[in-house]
Amino acid sequence: MPELPELNPVIHGKLRLALLSLLSGVEEAEFTWLRAKTASTDGNLGAQLLKLEEAGYVAVEKKFVQRKPQTLYRMTEKGRAALTDYVGALRQLLGSAI
Amino acid sequence: MTDQKIEQELKDRLSLIETMIAEGRRSTESWGWAFVFWGVAYYIAIAWSSGGFGGPTWSRNYLAWPVTMISGFVLTWIMSARKRSKQPPTTIGRAITSIWAGMGISTFIIMFSLGYSGRMDLHIAIAMVGAMLGTANITSSIILKWKMQFVSGLVWLAAGAVSCFLTENQAGILFLVAIFFCQIVFGILGMIADARERKTSGTAQDVSHA
Repeated sequence: MPELPELNPVIHGKLRLALLSLLSGVEEAEFTWLRAKTASTDGNLGAQLLKLEEAGYVAVEKKFVQRKPQTLYRMTEKGRAALTDYVGALRQLLGSAI
Repeated sequence: MTDQKIEQELKDRLSLIETMIAEGRRSTESWGWAFVFWGVAYYIAIAWSSGGFGGPTWSRNYLAWPVTMISGFVLTWIMSARKRSKQPPTTIGRAITSIWAGMGISTFIIMFSLGYSGRMDLHIAIAMVGAMLGTANITSSIILKWKMQFVSGLVWLAAGAVSCFLTENQAGILFLVAIFFCQIVFGILGMIADARERKTSGTAQDVSHA
């Protein structure tokens, strides 16, 4: 079986992979919704989202709704392409095992 | 790490992707309540317009459909807005909402015009409502891949078409039966399916180990 390093290391992290997968099914999502779905802490979630943002896989929008701050995350085209490539690589690596 | 462990880890990643995508899309499927709600609204409008409630307030039969339908739109909008604030928007959700909003507004305008111009006829009303609800249900069912809703849409279309060949009384009874099966029964089954899915999918999956 080929070695793991062939997979995109930015996406391979469990929480980052979960976040990208969640964002692929919705148009945009609030920080609190992502936190609830992944059962992660604010600090960890913020750090992983920052890595995805730095890689250009997610875009962030901060705004106020009824005077309350709201942080929205949206998957970019680059992120969608990266996730598609990652799934393709996974399937290739697993081959007949799936 | 052994090959077996690596393989298991990769399978876990694939499974995680599938679970999370499904979790994100789940928000578009909890609409059973709206069918029951509108089924009850139709029954209230029918009872009111046929003088079933009695009393001075309810004697203005001409107000029955406009008042009930406008109240229904407002309440549905409030309830769906509350749901939307808890769930992120999805493309599928927007597509489904636009189909039903378009159908509702079109039906209301045509029915209001027919009533106001004095050209309202029970056969025309049932045929039009059957065609509109049939089309909306069938279109939504194809997007959501929901067979039960497809059948419900076919029943609405059939009820609309068949009503053209019946007497006024028979057409009225057919309309009541169609509401019962396509709104009340279908809505309750949808709510049960939603509840079951929520129970089996559980709550958040702990993926906090980056």
